[in-house]
Amino acid sequence: MSDPSTKDSTTTKTPMVYICGECHSENEIRPRDPIRCRECGYRIMYKKRTKRLIVFDAR
Amino acid sequence: MIGVGTSKLVLSNWKFKFSSMLGYDTESWGYSYRGEIQHNGLVCRYGSYFTIGSLVGVHLDMWTGTLQYYLNRRPLGIAFKSLKNYDLYPMVSSTAAQSSMRITCCLSQEPTLQAECLKTLQQLGAPHVFSFNYMLNKGLDDAVADIKPVEFEIPNGDRICLRVEDVSINCPLVPLGVIGVRDQRIFPTECRQRAGTYAGKLNAKISWSVNGDARNYLEKDMGDIPIMIKSDRCHLSGLSPKELVAHNEHEQEWGGYFIIKGHERLIRMLLMTRRNYPIAIKRSGWKGRGALFSDVGIQIRCVKIDQTSLSNTLHFVTDGTAKLMFVHSKLLYYIPVLMVLKSLCNHTDQHIFKKLTIGFEHDSYYIDCIQNMMRDLHREGLHTHEQCKQYLGKMFRVKFYECPQWRTDAEIADYIFKHCILIHLDNLEDKFNMLAFMTQKLFTFAQDQCKTEGADAVMMQELLLGGHLYLQVIKERLYVWLNSLRFNILKLAKTSIGFSVNQKEMTTAAKYSGRLEIVLEKFLATGNLHSPSGLGLMQDSGLTIVAENINRMRYMSHFRAVHRGSFFQEMRTTEARQLLPDAWGFICPVHTPDGTPCGLLNHLTMNCIVTDIPSEDKLQNILITMSDLGMIPITNTESVTSFKNYYVTQLDGKVVGYVEHKLAQKLVNNLRALKIKNQIPNTLEIVLVPVKKTPGQYPGLFLFTGPARMMRPLYNLRYRDIEFVGTFEQVYLDICVAQNEIYKDVTTHMEISKGSFLSNLALLIPMPDCNQSPRNMYQCQMGKQTMGTPCHSWDIQAETKLYRLQTPNTPLFRPVHYDNIELDDFPMGTNAIVAVISYTGYDMEDAMIINKSSYERGFCHGSIYKAEFIELDDANSYFCRDPSRPDLIDSLEPDGFPYVGKLIKVDDPLYCFYSADESKYVVKKFKGKEDCFINNVRKCATFHFKMKPLACITYRVPRNPTVGDKFASRAGQKGICSQKWPMEDLPFTETGLVPDIVFNPHGFPSRMTIAMMIEIMAGKSAALHGLVHDASPFKFDEENTAIDYFGRLLEAGGYNYYGTETMYSGIDGREMNAQIFFGIVYYQRLRHMVSDKWQVRSTGPTDILTRQPVGGRKRGGGVRFGEMERDSLISHGTSFLLQDRLLHCSDRTTAQMCTSCGTLLGPITLVTRIADKPNYSETKEVCRLCQNGDNIVEIQIPYIFKYFVTQLASVNINIKINCKQT
Repeated sequence: MSDPSTKDSTTTKTPMVYICGECHSENEIRPRDPIRCRECGYRIMYKKRTKRLIVFDAR
Repeated sequence: MIGVGTSKLVLSNWKFKFSSMLGYDTESWGYSYRGEIQHNGLVCRYGSYFTIGSLVGVHLDMWTGTLQYYLNRRPLGIAFKSLKNYDLYPMVSSTAAQSSMRITCCLSQEPTLQAECLKTLQQLGAPHVFSFNYMLNKGLDDAVADIKPVEFEIPNGDRICLRVEDVSINCPLVPLGVIGVRDQRIFPTECRQRAGTYAGKLNAKISWSVNGDARNYLEKDMGDIPIMIKSDRCHLSGLSPKELVAHNEHEQEWGGYFIIKGHERLIRMLLMTRRNYPIAIKRSGWKGRGALFSDVGIQIRCVKIDQTSLSNTLHFVTDGTAKLMFVHSKLLYYIPVLMVLKSLCNHTDQHIFKKLTIGFEHDSYYIDCIQNMMRDLHREGLHTHEQCKQYLGKMFRVKFYECPQWRTDAEIADYIFKHCILIHLDNLEDKFNMLAFMTQKLFTFAQDQCKTEGADAVMMQELLLGGHLYLQVIKERLYVWLNSLRFNILKLAKTSIGFSVNQKEMTTAAKYSGRLEIVLEKFLATGNLHSPSGLGLMQDSGLTIVAENINRMRYMSHFRAVHRGSFFQEMRTTEARQLLPDAWGFICPVHTPDGTPCGLLNHLTMNCIVTDIPSEDKLQNILITMSDLGMIPITNTESVTSFKNYYVTQLDGKVVGYVEHKLAQKLVNNLRALKIKNQIPNTLEIVLVPVKKTPGQYPGLFLFTGPARMMRPLYNLRYRDIEFVGTFEQVYLDICVAQNEIYKDVTTHMEISKGSFLSNLALLIPMPDCNQSPRNMYQCQMGKQTMGTPCHSWDIQAETKLYRLQTPNTPLFRPVHYDNIELDDFPMGTNAIVAVISYTGYDMEDAMIINKSSYERGFCHGSIYKAEFIELDDANSYFCRDPSRPDLIDSLEPDGFPYVGKLIKVDDPLYCFYSADESKYVVKKFKGKEDCFINNVRKCATFHFKMKPLACITYRVPRNPTVGDKFASRAGQKGICSQKWPMEDLPFTETGLVPDIVFNPHGFPSRMTIAMMIEIMAGKSAALHGLVHDASPFKFDEENTAIDYFGRLLEAGGYNYYGTETMYSGIDGREMNAQIFFGIVYYQRLRHMVSDKWQVRSTGPTDILTRQPVGGRKRGGGVRFGEMERDSLISHGTSFLLQDRLLHCSDRTTAQMCTSCGTLLGPITLVTRIADKPNYSETKEVCRLCQNGDNIVEIQIPYIFKYFVTQLASVNINIKINCKQT
C-alpha cells in the first residue's frame, strides 16, 4: 500500500492529547494509532478543547 | 437463616441447641434456607430454597414497616408486615457446621420524597423491563421446549431429528481475547456514544439424533443480540441512582428500550384482544369466508405459557352448524366443530351431546342443531373417534409438510390439536370442555340471547409487551434456523456419496446456517417483521419506534403509549378510534394526537399498571380456595341437577367448574378478600358476568391471572384496602369517584384520586378542568414539542439533534404531579410576564410580541446540539491533517479535526483524512446552513479487527428567539413571535413593570382557556407572596372558585382582585383607559423555528422526468404552487403572474409543431450529409406525418405537455392542436 511520503513524518507523528471517556486520563494518540485508552482500554476518546484563543464578535 | 431482630433477643438461650433461631420468638424474623419464613415460632412457606452461592437480599422498609427478601436479586414479595415500632438489627444464624455467609453490600437509605418519585418514574419502564426479564428467566426455556423438532430423512435412509435444547443470553461483554481492558462489562453509555448496539451473546445448544438415538450436542454461537436496558442482562440493573450517574446515566433511568446503532428504540405496546377468553363478535367480513357463513362468531385468542399466540374462531353457519377456524402458516382452515370434538376425546355421542346441551335443555333449536351436526358426521361415515382423527389427519397431511411423511394420520391430527387449536390448553379434555363452552355461547349469540362483545372495547383487550414479542421473534427465528440447518445437511448429503451425519458434518452445516444477530438487530432497527407465521399479529411493520428525547415529556410519553395497530390506521371506519366508557381509568381521554393516529395511539393513565406473571404457588392457591368456597369442580359434577342455575367458571380460558347463582356473589367477595391479602395473586381479575333478565353479556365467572393485562388500583370500601382492578372486571363493579357518591350496599370501590383517569402528560396541564377539552389535547401535543432539558449529559451525547433551553425556570403554578415525577430536574419553560393587550397590531391572529430587552437578556435562549458520525471509506484510511497544505492550520489541528470550541461556517474545512483508497489526503468541508460551534470531537473504536476509522463531531447551534419562532403557554395557546418590540415602546405599569410577552386578548373568547387566565392570576400572586401554587385539577369548584382564591391573594398583596392593572402607553406615556390583565405565565418555547423551515428558490434542481422544479427544503426545491393558488390567480385575472409561475419558472421548453396536422409528435430533424466530412451536414425540420416541412413552427409549451402527448400516443391517442398565427 502506498503510504504518504515518510519525509514529512514530523506531522504524521505529532501526537495529539485525547481524554479517555471512561477514566478521564490523558492519552497521546498519533493519527494511525488504535483508539484505545492506555490506562483502562476504553474505546472512546475525546479531543481536548483547544488552548488557542477563540474570540468571537461580542456585539 | 437470614433476617432481623431486636436487641431483646437473648443469644445465650441458644448456646446448646440446634434450632432455627430467627423467628423462634416474637423478637426476630427470619428466612431459612428451606424457603420458609418464621416469626413467633410460626413457619410458613415463602420463597424457594437457597444454598451455596445464593445471594440473599433483605429489604427492610421502616417507612411502611415491611420486610422483603430477595433471592439472587429477584424480589420474593413482602414477608413480614407491621415491623414499624421496633429497633431492628440484621441477623443471621446457621445450624450447619462450617457454613459461612458473606455480606456483600449493606446500606440504608433515608426515606425521601426523591426516592418515592424515582419509584414513580421506574414504573414507566416497568412493563417493558419485566416482560424482558420474564423472557430471560423463564420464557426462553418455555419457548425452547415448545420449538417443534425438525425431522427429516437423508438419502441413506437415516432419520434425523434436530432439536433446540437450551438457549442462553449473556450480558454485553468485551469479547474474549481483547487485552488491556480493565472493565470487561460494556455499559449502555458506550453504545450511545459510538453509535453501537447494546448486545449480548446468544448461545444455543442443538441436539440431534439419528434414528431415535441421541448423539452429541452442538454448541452454536448465534451472535450478539440486542439487550434491553435495565433488564437482568444489562449491567445497569440493580444499580443505585448514584451508581447510575457514575455510569453516565440519569439517576432516574428506567430502561425498557434497546440501543440499536446508537438510537434508543422501543418495542411499541400494542393493544391486543384479551387472551384466552372467547369473545362474541359480529363481523360482516366473515360472511365471505364460505358458503352459508354468517357474520356471527366466537373468537378466542389463545396464548400459550411461552406467550405464543394464535386465534381460533367458531363460526356460525346459517344451516344451523358451526365450523372451527384455525390458522396455519397464515392460511385459514375450517372444520365442523363436532368433528373436532369427536376427534379430541374418545367420548360416546351420548356424552358429547350431554356436554354440549348442559343447561340448555329447553332450547329446542340448539338441541336440534347439535343432533343434526351429529347425524352429518355419521352420514359421512365417520362413526368413531378414531375414524374422525384419521380423516382429519388424512385431509390436512398435505398442508402440514413440516410433519415427516412417516407420521400416521392420527399423529398429524394430534399435531394439529397441539399447535393449532386452543393452544393455551395442553390437555385434550380441557380443549374439549372449552370448545363445548364456545359452542354453547355461539348458539346463544346466534339466537340473539347474548350481546356482541366486540374486539374494540378496552374491556376485551390487553397489551403486547416488548419482551414477549422479542421472545416470539427469537423462538421463530430459532425454528427457521433449524430448518436452514436441515437444508444445509441435505445439501451436504447430496454432494457426497454414502453421507452419514456426524459431529463434523453437523458443525459444517451449522456454520453455513447463519446467525440470529443481524435478523434481530434489523427487526429492532426497522420495526419490520418477516415472519412465516405472522406471530398472531395484525401487522408486520411499525413494531418499534425511536424513543425520541426532545424533552422529558416526549420521552416519558413514549413509554406509556399504546397503539391499536397500524392495521386500523388505514381503516375507513372510526370504530377502533372511539373512546368507549370502559376505557375509563386505563386509557387517558385527553392524551391522544389529532390527525391520522387519533384514537389509535393512546396513553395509559398514570395509575394503570401492566400485570406481570404471578408466582406459581399463589396460582395454585386459586383453585384450592375456589373449591373451598363452594365451586363445584368440573371433574365432579354429579351433584349438579340443573345447570341452568350455575355459572360456568373459567380460569385463564380453562373451564374449571361451576358456581351456583346464589353463591356466586359471596364467593367473589371472599376471593377479593384473599386477593387483597395477596394469598392468591393480587393481579387476579375476577369477573362475574351476572345473568340478567334482558340479554347482556354471556354470563359466567371468569378469572384471569395472565400477564400483559391493564389493571389499576382502586380503594375497596368493604376491605378498606387497595385492590387492583382489571379492564373487564371494572365493568361489573360499582365505583364512585368521591366519598359523597357512595350508595350504601351498592358501591364497592372508590377512586384513589379524582385525577386518576389522566395520563402523565395530562396531569401536567395546570387546571385542565377549567379548559375547553380540545385545548388540553393540544397542550399534550405541544408539551412534547417543547425545548427544554432532555438530558444532563450534554458533553457525551451523540443524538442527531437535541434541543436545549438555556435558562429554564420552574413554573410557579404547577400540579402536584409535576413534583411527583421530579420534572424540576428537566425543566422546559420560562416564567414570562404577560400583558393581555392588543397594543401593536403585530400580535393579531395568535401572534405574540416579545420584549426586545428581555430577549437581549437571554429570554428563551436555546441551542441545538447536532451530532455527525464520520466513518472513513477504508480500514487503512486515517484522520490526519494534510501536511502539504499550510492553509489548513488555521482551521484544523494535526489530527485532521477542527479545534474544539471553534466557530465553523459553511464551506470551512471540517476534517481531513488520508484516503487509502485514493492514496491522497482529502479535505471535507462543513455543509451546514448555519454557523455553529464545534462542541466536541471524539474518536471511537470497536472490537472489530479491521474497523473503519469512526469519529463523531457534535455541533452546537445557538438559537436565539427570532421572529417566526413558536411559543405556547400550557393551555394549548400557541403563537408565533411576530416582532421583537423595543422595551421603551411597550406599555408599563404603575410600578414600572414592562411585559416580556404581549398576548392578544382575542386569543381568549373562542378558545375558552380559563386555566390560562387563572394562571396569570396565580402566577402573579405566587411571585408576590413567594409561593408555588397547586394547579392540580378538581381542587376548586363552583362555590369555591379559583378566581376568588387567587383574587383575594392578589388583593392581599395590594393588587387588583382580578389581576388587572393600570398601564401607560410606552409610545407617549399617557395612561390607558382600559385596565390591563397582567401577570405571570409559564411559557414553552416550541422546537419549530424559522431557521429550520425557511425555504427559498429562484432556480435550482429540477426533476429529470418532468423537468419541473423539485420540492423539499433540503434539496433546494421550491414551494408548491398548487391548484388553490392557481385558482386564486385565475380569479384575480393576473395572467402574467400565472404564466410566470407555471411556465417560465417551471418547465418551459421550446417544441416543434406542425401546424398543418396540428401535432407535436410529427416534426423531426432530418440530417443530410453534404460531404464526407464530419459535422458537415444540413439539417431540416420535416413532419413525419404529412411529410412536409413548410408548416413547422416553434412554440413554447410546458415540457410536461409534450410528455403527456407522448404518453397518450403510446395508447394510440393522438392530440391535435388547433392553432392560429397571430
